[in-house]
Amino acid sequence: MASTVKYVRVSPNSASLEEARRRVFDFFKTACRSIPTIMEIYNIDDVVTPTQLRSIVASEIRKNSHISNPKVIDMLLFKGTEELNNIVEHSKQRHHILGQYVLGRPEITPDSATKEQGSEYLKNFFRSNYF
Amino acid sequence: MASVTASSVKFSSVSSLIKQNQVSNLKKASLSFTGNAFQSRRLPVRRFHVACAAKPETVNKVVDIVRKQLALPDDRAVNGESKFSVLGADSLDTVEIVMGLEEEFGICVEEESAQSISTVQEAADLIEELLEKK
Repeated sequence: MASTVKYVRVSPNSASLEEARRRVFDFFKTACRSIPTIMEIYNIDDVVTPTQLRSIVASEIRKNSHISNPKVIDMLLFKGTEELNNIVEHSKQRHHILGQYVLGRPEITPDSATKEQGSEYLKNFFRSNYF
Repeated sequence: MASVTASSVKFSSVSSLIKQNQVSNLKKASLSFTGNAFQSRRLPVRRFHVACAAKPETVNKVVDIVRKQLALPDDRAVNGESKFSVLGADSLDTVEIVMGLEEEFGICVEEESAQSISTVQEAADLIEELLEKK
């Protein structure tokens, strides 16, 4: 119904880093091609553009770009595919998508939301648990 | 190389737009426009694969998308022959650019063709090819 994403049978293991790389790019392409569906399902046209969503997906993938073990990459791809499936089949809701992927990114939501008048301590506190 | 492309594109806009004959027109045009330095050079074999050189506005749109994607400052020159790796794009950036082009032009790029794209001109040519096939 809502699946532009094919239910891929995860093949056993990538034989090499090169194959894992190719799988990452395939996953990225699948994600990009299902972006229009996602925007329509969750009505986020007024908050983000497809281009921004694409760069969000790319930055998520880039966060793990330092990994060199093909098995770890396979595991990450599996989790990524699972997440994408959940999103596309409307198992999530709008605030999940917005909270997890859209808000808090400096290039998309400008920092007008953060409190500038707080002290340095408070700013560190908002940013993380450990400082 | 860039000047050959530019001169051949200019000529194609002036001449009649008969698609079948466009290749032969281009070959004649580029040879007559080239200066003394290029006299001994033959056109690279790659030209025979492409049905026609990409239109300037297609190339411009590709350049725009590349510029926005890689966040290049305006003084950095991007033309048909710039390679993506030279502009500072890693492989994920290249895939993202191809996706952006897919969305912009409403085409669908297959796996093998996407792997071979390494310069702006190749991307524009591929787009032209796919737009013609539609």
